[in-house]
Amino acid sequence: MKIDDLQQMESEDVNTLPSVERRKFLKFGLAVTGMYLGGSILSLTSTGNAYSSGVVPTVGQYPYSPHYSMVIREKRCIDCELCKEACVKTNHVPKYGFRTTILEKRRALEGNKFETTFMPVLCNHCNNPPCVRVCPTTATWKDKKTGIVGIYNPSFCIGCKTCMTACPYNARYFNEERRAIDKCDFCYDSRLSKGGTITACTEACPADVRVFGNLADPTSRVFKLVHAAETIVWVLRPETGAIPNVFYINN
Amino acid sequence: MVVVLGGCLLSGALLIAGDEAKKQESKAYDEDAYGPEAPIVWVKPVRTVVFEHKVHTMDAGLSCDSCHDDLFEMENGAAEKKDDFTMAALYKGSYCGSCHDGSTAFASNTRCTSCHIGVRGHARLNDKGDATAKSH
Repeated sequence: MKIDDLQQMESEDVNTLPSVERRKFLKFGLAVTGMYLGGSILSLTSTGNAYSSGVVPTVGQYPYSPHYSMVIREKRCIDCELCKEACVKTNHVPKYGFRTTILEKRRALEGNKFETTFMPVLCNHCNNPPCVRVCPTTATWKDKKTGIVGIYNPSFCIGCKTCMTACPYNARYFNEERRAIDKCDFCYDSRLSKGGTITACTEACPADVRVFGNLADPTSRVFKLVHAAETIVWVLRPETGAIPNVFYINN
Repeated sequence: MVVVLGGCLLSGALLIAGDEAKKQESKAYDEDAYGPEAPIVWVKPVRTVVFEHKVHTMDAGLSCDSCHDDLFEMENGAAEKKDDFTMAALYKGSYCGSCHDGSTAFASNTRCTSCHIGVRGHARLNDKGDATAKSH
Protein backbone atom coordinates (compact mmCIF):
# COMPACT_ATOMS: atom_id res chain seq x y z
CA MET A 1 0.00 0.00 0.00
CA LYS A 2 1.24 3.36 -0.85
CA ILE A 3 1.55 6.23 1.60
CA ASP A 4 -0.89 8.32 -0.45
CA ASP A 5 -3.54 5.62 -0.18
CA LEU A 6 -3.04 5.40 3.58
CA GLN A 7 -3.62 9.11 3.92
CA GLN A 8 -6.93 8.69 2.12
CA MET A 9 -8.23 6.11 4.66
CA GLU A 10 -10.50 6.90 7.60
CA SER A 11 -8.67 7.36 10.92
CA GLU A 12 -9.19 4.64 13.62
CA ASP A 13 -7.95 6.65 16.60
CA VAL A 14 -10.16 7.47 19.65
CA ASN A 15 -11.02 10.95 18.36
CA THR A 16 -13.18 9.47 15.63
CA LEU A 17 -14.84 6.81 17.86
CA PRO A 18 -18.62 7.32 18.15
CA SER A 19 -19.91 7.87 21.71
CA VAL A 20 -22.14 4.76 21.45
CA GLU A 21 -19.04 2.63 21.16
CA ARG A 22 -17.49 4.34 24.19
CA ARG A 23 -20.61 3.69 26.27
CA LYS A 24 -20.70 0.06 25.26
CA PHE A 25 -17.12 -0.34 26.35
CA LEU A 26 -17.69 1.35 29.72
CA LYS A 27 -20.82 -0.73 30.37
CA PHE A 28 -18.88 -3.90 29.72
CA GLY A 29 -16.18 -2.77 32.12
CA LEU A 30 -18.72 -1.99 34.84
CA ALA A 31 -20.39 -5.36 34.36
CA VAL A 32 -17.08 -7.19 34.88
CA THR A 33 -16.22 -5.06 37.93
CA GLY A 34 -19.70 -5.59 39.37
CA MET A 35 -19.48 -9.31 38.93
CA TYR A 36 -16.18 -9.52 40.84
CA LEU A 37 -17.32 -7.13 43.54
CA GLY A 38 -20.60 -8.98 44.03
CA GLY A 39 -18.74 -12.27 44.28
CA SER A 40 -16.36 -11.05 46.92
CA ILE A 41 -19.15 -9.56 49.01
CA LEU A 42 -21.04 -12.86 48.86
CA SER A 43 -17.94 -14.82 49.85
CA LEU A 44 -17.65 -12.82 53.08
CA THR A 45 -20.69 -14.61 54.49
CA SER A 46 -19.94 -17.80 56.43
CA THR A 47 -20.69 -21.09 54.71
CA GLY A 48 -20.73 -23.38 57.75
CA ASN A 49 -21.19 -23.44 61.47
CA ALA A 50 -18.17 -21.73 62.90
CA TYR A 51 -18.28 -22.70 66.57
CA SER A 52 -15.42 -20.47 67.54
CA SER A 53 -12.59 -18.64 65.91
CA GLY A 54 -10.03 -20.48 68.08
CA VAL A 55 -9.49 -24.17 68.64
CA VAL A 56 -11.58 -24.27 71.81
CA PRO A 57 -15.33 -24.57 71.27
CA THR A 58 -17.65 -21.89 72.64
CA VAL A 59 -19.12 -22.90 76.00
CA GLY A 60 -22.43 -24.64 75.45
CA GLN A 61 -21.86 -25.27 71.76
CA TYR A 62 -20.77 -28.88 71.58
CA PRO A 63 -22.18 -30.92 68.70
CA TYR A 64 -22.32 -34.17 70.71
CA SER A 65 -23.64 -35.39 74.02
CA PRO A 66 -21.63 -36.81 75.63
CA HIS A 67 -18.95 -34.93 73.70
CA TYR A 68 -15.97 -37.18 74.39
CA SER A 69 -12.61 -35.46 74.32
CA MET A 70 -9.13 -35.74 75.78
CA VAL A 71 -6.89 -33.11 77.29
CA ILE A 72 -3.16 -33.84 77.18
CA ARG A 73 -1.05 -32.05 79.78
CA GLU A 74 1.96 -32.31 77.57
CA LYS A 75 4.97 -31.30 79.64
CA ARG A 76 4.12 -33.89 82.31
CA CYS A 77 4.65 -36.80 79.91
CA ILE A 78 7.77 -38.81 80.72
CA ASP A 79 7.45 -41.45 77.98
CA CYS A 80 7.08 -44.36 80.41
CA GLU A 81 4.73 -45.80 77.76
CA LEU A 82 2.41 -47.42 80.29
CA CYS A 83 -0.44 -45.90 78.24
CA LYS A 84 0.74 -47.69 75.13
CA GLU A 85 0.98 -50.98 77.01
CA ALA A 86 -2.49 -50.57 78.48
CA CYS A 87 -3.92 -49.76 75.05
CA VAL A 88 -2.27 -52.78 73.42
CA LYS A 89 -3.56 -55.06 76.17
CA THR A 90 -7.09 -53.64 76.25
CA ASN A 91 -7.66 -53.36 72.52
CA HIS A 92 -5.47 -56.25 71.27
CA VAL A 93 -3.28 -54.03 69.12
CA PRO A 94 -0.66 -55.97 67.14
CA LYS A 95 3.03 -55.11 67.27
CA TYR A 96 3.13 -53.55 63.80
CA GLY A 97 0.40 -51.01 64.57
CA PHE A 98 -0.63 -48.53 67.23
CA ARG A 99 -3.76 -46.76 68.37
CA THR A 100 -1.77 -44.30 70.41
CA THR A 101 1.91 -43.51 70.56
CA ILE A 102 4.34 -40.95 71.94
CA LEU A 103 6.35 -38.57 69.81
CA GLU A 104 9.42 -36.67 70.91
CA LYS A 105 10.49 -33.09 70.31
CA ARG A 106 13.85 -31.57 71.12
CA ARG A 107 14.37 -27.86 71.68
CA ALA A 108 17.81 -26.27 71.89
CA LEU A 109 18.60 -24.54 75.18
CA GLU A 110 21.48 -22.26 76.07
CA GLY A 111 24.83 -23.89 76.80
CA ASN A 112 24.56 -26.55 74.09
CA LYS A 113 21.81 -28.35 76.00
CA PHE A 114 18.49 -29.74 74.87
CA GLU A 115 15.04 -29.95 76.38
CA THR A 116 12.96 -32.97 75.49
CA THR A 117 9.19 -32.85 75.24
CA PHE A 118 7.16 -36.01 74.84
CA MET A 119 3.94 -35.67 72.89
CA PRO A 120 1.28 -38.38 73.24
CA VAL A 121 -0.80 -38.69 70.08
CA LEU A 122 -3.95 -40.60 69.21
CA CYS A 123 -7.07 -40.24 67.05
CA ASN A 124 -8.40 -36.71 67.50
CA HIS A 125 -12.02 -37.75 66.88
CA CYS A 126 -12.42 -34.66 64.72
CA ASN A 127 -15.75 -32.89 64.32
CA ASN A 128 -15.00 -32.73 60.61
CA PRO A 129 -13.09 -36.01 60.10
CA PRO A 130 -11.22 -36.21 56.77
CA CYS A 131 -10.96 -40.01 57.13
CA VAL A 132 -14.74 -40.45 57.19
CA ARG A 133 -15.21 -38.19 54.18
CA VAL A 134 -12.95 -40.34 51.99
CA CYS A 135 -14.21 -43.81 52.99
CA PRO A 136 -15.84 -45.29 49.88
CA THR A 137 -17.78 -48.01 51.72
CA THR A 138 -18.99 -46.26 54.92
CA ALA A 139 -16.98 -48.74 57.01
CA THR A 140 -15.92 -45.86 59.23
CA TRP A 141 -18.03 -43.01 60.43
CA LYS A 142 -18.48 -40.55 63.28
CA ASP A 143 -21.04 -41.58 65.84
CA LYS A 144 -23.87 -39.04 65.89
CA LYS A 145 -24.33 -39.28 69.64
CA THR A 146 -20.81 -39.49 71.12
CA GLY A 147 -18.77 -38.05 68.27
CA ILE A 148 -16.43 -41.05 68.42
CA VAL A 149 -14.84 -41.86 65.06
CA GLY A 150 -14.78 -45.63 64.72
CA ILE A 151 -14.70 -48.57 62.34
CA TYR A 152 -18.31 -49.46 63.06
CA ASN A 153 -18.53 -51.78 60.07
CA PRO A 154 -15.19 -53.63 59.76
CA SER A 155 -16.68 -56.13 57.29
CA PHE A 156 -17.34 -53.23 54.90
CA CYS A 157 -13.66 -52.22 54.97
CA ILE A 158 -11.99 -53.13 51.68
CA GLY A 159 -8.52 -52.14 52.92
CA CYS A 160 -8.05 -49.35 50.40
CA LYS A 161 -6.23 -47.35 53.12
CA THR A 162 -7.51 -44.06 51.76
CA CYS A 163 -8.53 -43.08 55.30
CA MET A 164 -4.97 -43.71 56.46
CA THR A 165 -3.68 -41.17 53.96
CA ALA A 166 -6.48 -38.72 54.70
CA CYS A 167 -5.92 -38.70 58.46
CA PRO A 168 -3.82 -35.66 59.45
CA TYR A 169 -2.72 -37.45 62.65
CA ASN A 170 -1.45 -40.81 61.35
CA ALA A 171 -3.92 -42.42 63.75
CA ARG A 172 -4.91 -45.42 61.62
CA TYR A 173 -3.22 -48.71 60.74
CA PHE A 174 -4.23 -51.75 58.76
CA ASN A 175 -4.94 -54.76 60.97
CA GLU A 176 -3.71 -57.80 59.03
CA GLU A 177 -5.64 -60.28 61.17
CA ARG A 178 -8.98 -58.55 60.83
CA ARG A 179 -8.26 -57.44 57.26
CA ALA A 180 -9.61 -54.03 58.20
CA ILE A 181 -8.36 -50.65 59.33
CA ASP A 182 -8.13 -50.27 63.10
CA LYS A 183 -7.82 -47.14 65.23
CA CYS A 184 -8.49 -45.59 68.63
CA ASP A 185 -12.18 -45.54 69.52
CA PHE A 186 -11.66 -43.92 72.95
CA CYS A 187 -11.99 -47.51 74.25
CA TYR A 188 -15.68 -47.48 73.31
CA ASP A 189 -15.85 -51.20 72.43
CA SER A 190 -13.59 -52.37 75.23
CA ARG A 191 -14.65 -50.12 78.10
CA LEU A 192 -17.15 -47.27 77.55
CA SER A 193 -19.88 -49.50 76.07
CA LYS A 194 -19.44 -51.85 79.03
CA GLY A 195 -20.01 -49.16 81.64
CA GLY A 196 -16.46 -47.82 81.83
CA THR A 197 -15.96 -44.08 82.15
CA ILE A 198 -12.34 -43.56 81.11
CA THR A 199 -9.98 -44.95 78.50
CA ALA A 200 -7.30 -47.54 79.30
CA CYS A 201 -4.48 -45.08 78.52
CA THR A 202 -5.93 -42.47 80.90
CA GLU A 203 -6.22 -45.06 83.66
CA ALA A 204 -2.64 -46.28 83.13
CA CYS A 205 -0.95 -42.86 83.10
CA PRO A 206 1.02 -42.35 86.34
CA ALA A 207 1.72 -38.66 85.61
CA ASP A 208 -1.88 -37.54 85.05
CA VAL A 209 -1.12 -36.48 81.48
CA ARG A 210 -4.20 -37.83 79.73
CA VAL A 211 -7.50 -36.47 81.02
CA PHE A 212 -10.57 -37.98 79.39
CA GLY A 213 -14.19 -36.96 79.69
CA ASN A 214 -17.32 -35.30 78.42
CA LEU A 215 -16.57 -31.78 77.24
CA ALA A 216 -20.28 -30.95 77.22
CA ASP A 217 -20.46 -31.51 80.99
CA PRO A 218 -19.41 -28.31 82.83
CA THR A 219 -18.52 -30.36 85.93
CA SER A 220 -16.07 -32.59 84.04
CA ARG A 221 -12.33 -32.15 84.37
CA VAL A 222 -11.81 -31.82 80.63
CA PHE A 223 -14.28 -28.93 80.53
CA LYS A 224 -12.54 -27.21 83.45
CA LEU A 225 -9.07 -27.63 81.91
CA VAL A 226 -10.04 -26.51 78.40
CA HIS A 227 -12.04 -23.51 79.60
CA ALA A 228 -9.69 -22.44 82.43
CA ALA A 229 -8.45 -18.86 82.52
CA GLU A 230 -4.84 -18.04 81.60
CA THR A 231 -4.36 -21.33 79.79
CA ILE A 232 -2.86 -21.82 76.38
CA VAL A 233 -4.82 -24.56 74.65
CA TRP A 234 -3.60 -25.90 71.33
CA VAL A 235 -4.47 -28.68 68.95
CA LEU A 236 -2.32 -30.47 66.42
CA ARG A 237 -2.51 -29.38 62.79
CA PRO A 238 -5.42 -26.94 63.13
CA GLU A 239 -4.88 -25.77 59.54
CA THR A 240 -6.50 -28.95 58.19
CA GLY A 241 -9.91 -27.70 59.36
CA ALA A 242 -10.66 -31.10 60.89
CA ILE A 243 -11.69 -29.50 64.25
CA PRO A 244 -9.99 -32.04 66.54
CA ASN A 245 -11.19 -33.04 70.02
CA VAL A 246 -7.79 -33.75 71.59
CA PHE A 247 -6.56 -30.63 73.29
CA TYR A 248 -3.04 -29.93 74.53
CA ILE A 249 -2.18 -27.73 77.51
CA ASN A 250 0.86 -27.24 79.71
CA ASN A 251 -0.77 -26.29 83.03
CA MET B 1 39.02 -41.61 41.14
CA VAL B 2 41.42 -39.24 42.85
CA VAL B 3 38.48 -37.26 44.23
CA VAL B 4 36.86 -40.39 45.69
CA LEU B 5 40.15 -41.47 47.26
CA GLY B 6 40.66 -37.98 48.67
CA GLY B 7 37.12 -38.00 50.09
CA CYS B 8 37.73 -41.36 51.78
CA LEU B 9 40.99 -40.18 53.30
CA LEU B 10 39.41 -36.98 54.54
CA SER B 11 36.43 -38.70 56.16
CA GLY B 12 38.80 -41.26 57.67
CA ALA B 13 40.94 -38.52 59.13
CA LEU B 14 37.84 -36.82 60.53
CA LEU B 15 36.66 -40.06 62.15
CA ILE B 16 40.04 -40.64 63.76
CA ALA B 17 40.11 -37.04 64.99
CA GLY B 18 36.62 -37.53 66.50
CA ASP B 19 37.73 -40.69 68.29
CA GLU B 20 40.79 -38.91 69.65
CA ALA B 21 38.63 -36.10 71.01
CA LYS B 22 36.38 -38.64 72.73
CA LYS B 23 39.35 -40.45 74.26
CA GLN B 24 40.74 -37.21 75.61
CA GLU B 25 37.37 -36.40 77.13
CA SER B 26 37.27 -39.78 78.88
CA LYS B 27 40.82 -39.28 80.10
CA ALA B 28 39.88 -36.01 81.78
CA TYR B 29 37.12 -37.79 83.70
CA ASP B 30 38.54 -39.57 86.74
CA GLU B 31 36.14 -42.26 87.95
CA ASP B 32 37.85 -42.50 91.35
CA ALA B 33 37.23 -38.82 92.00
CA TYR B 34 33.90 -38.34 90.21
CA GLY B 35 32.16 -41.73 90.36
CA PRO B 36 31.25 -44.14 87.56
CA GLU B 37 31.15 -42.49 84.16
CA ALA B 38 28.36 -44.67 82.78
CA PRO B 39 24.94 -43.15 83.50
CA ILE B 40 22.81 -44.77 86.20
CA VAL B 41 19.47 -45.88 84.75
CA TRP B 42 16.40 -46.58 86.87
CA VAL B 43 13.38 -48.37 85.48
CA LYS B 44 11.45 -48.58 88.73
CA PRO B 45 8.99 -47.29 89.80
CA VAL B 46 8.62 -45.93 86.23
CA ARG B 47 10.65 -46.23 83.05
CA THR B 48 13.19 -44.61 82.54
CA VAL B 49 15.13 -42.19 84.74
CA VAL B 50 18.76 -41.32 84.23
CA PHE B 51 21.42 -40.00 86.62
CA GLU B 52 24.88 -38.95 85.56
CA HIS B 53 27.68 -38.68 88.11
CA LYS B 54 29.59 -36.40 85.75
CA VAL B 55 26.92 -33.69 85.75
CA HIS B 56 26.74 -33.67 89.54
CA THR B 57 30.38 -34.13 90.56
CA MET B 58 32.72 -32.92 87.81
CA ASP B 59 30.38 -30.23 86.47
CA ALA B 60 28.43 -29.13 89.56
CA GLY B 61 31.30 -29.68 92.01
CA LEU B 62 29.60 -31.97 94.51
CA SER B 63 31.72 -34.41 96.49
CA CYS B 64 30.94 -38.10 96.99
CA ASP B 65 29.77 -37.60 100.57
CA SER B 66 27.19 -35.04 99.47
CA CYS B 67 24.96 -38.00 98.62
CA HIS B 68 26.76 -41.14 99.86
CA ASP B 69 25.76 -42.89 102.00
CA ASP B 70 23.05 -40.73 103.57
CA LEU B 71 20.82 -40.23 100.52
CA PHE B 72 21.99 -43.09 98.34
CA GLU B 73 23.88 -46.27 99.14
CA MET B 74 26.97 -46.89 97.04
CA GLU B 75 25.45 -50.04 95.65
CA ASN B 76 24.09 -50.53 92.20
CA GLY B 77 20.26 -50.72 92.26
CA ALA B 78 19.94 -50.19 96.02
CA ALA B 79 17.53 -47.22 95.77
CA GLU B 80 15.37 -48.98 93.21
CA LYS B 81 14.65 -51.80 95.64
CA LYS B 82 13.17 -49.45 98.23
CA ASP B 83 9.42 -48.86 98.30
CA ASP B 84 9.74 -45.17 99.13
CA PHE B 85 11.86 -44.37 96.03
CA THR B 86 8.99 -42.33 94.55
CA MET B 87 8.31 -38.80 93.35
CA ALA B 88 6.20 -38.21 96.47
CA ALA B 89 9.27 -38.94 98.63
CA LEU B 90 11.38 -36.60 96.50
CA TYR B 91 8.89 -33.78 97.11
CA LYS B 92 9.38 -34.36 100.85
CA GLY B 93 13.14 -34.00 100.53
CA SER B 94 14.28 -37.61 100.26
CA TYR B 95 16.75 -38.91 97.68
CA CYS B 96 17.21 -36.43 94.78
CA GLY B 97 14.67 -34.13 96.46
CA SER B 98 17.28 -33.27 99.07
CA CYS B 99 18.84 -30.83 96.58
CA HIS B 100 16.16 -30.74 93.88
CA ASP B 101 13.88 -28.60 96.03
CA GLY B 102 13.69 -25.43 93.96
CA SER B 103 16.41 -23.53 95.82
CA THR B 104 19.59 -25.65 95.65
CA ALA B 105 18.66 -27.15 92.29
CA PHE B 106 15.52 -27.13 90.13
CA ALA B 107 12.54 -28.56 92.00
CA SER B 108 11.62 -32.23 91.61
CA ASN B 109 8.20 -31.35 90.27
CA THR B 110 9.61 -29.27 87.41
CA ARG B 111 11.57 -30.07 84.24
CA CYS B 112 10.43 -33.70 84.27
CA THR B 113 12.23 -34.74 81.10
CA SER B 114 15.65 -33.62 82.38
CA CYS B 115 15.87 -36.93 84.25
CA HIS B 116 12.91 -38.87 82.81
CA ILE B 117 14.38 -39.80 79.47
CA GLY B 118 11.61 -42.31 78.81
CA VAL B 119 11.58 -45.50 76.81
CA ARG B 120 12.85 -43.67 73.74
CA GLY B 121 15.75 -42.08 75.63
CA HIS B 122 16.65 -45.44 77.17
CA ALA B 123 16.72 -47.12 73.76
CA ARG B 124 18.96 -44.34 72.47
CA LEU B 125 21.29 -44.76 75.47
CA ASN B 126 21.53 -48.50 74.80
CA ASP B 127 22.21 -47.89 71.11
CA LYS B 128 25.02 -45.54 72.05
CA GLY B 129 26.44 -48.12 74.46
CA ASP B 130 26.35 -50.77 71.76
CA ALA B 131 28.01 -48.46 69.28
CA THR B 132 30.95 -47.70 71.57
CA ALA B 133 31.27 -51.37 72.56
CA LYS B 134 31.51 -52.31 68.89
CA SER B 135 34.12 -49.67 68.08
CA HIS B 136 36.49 -50.90 70.77
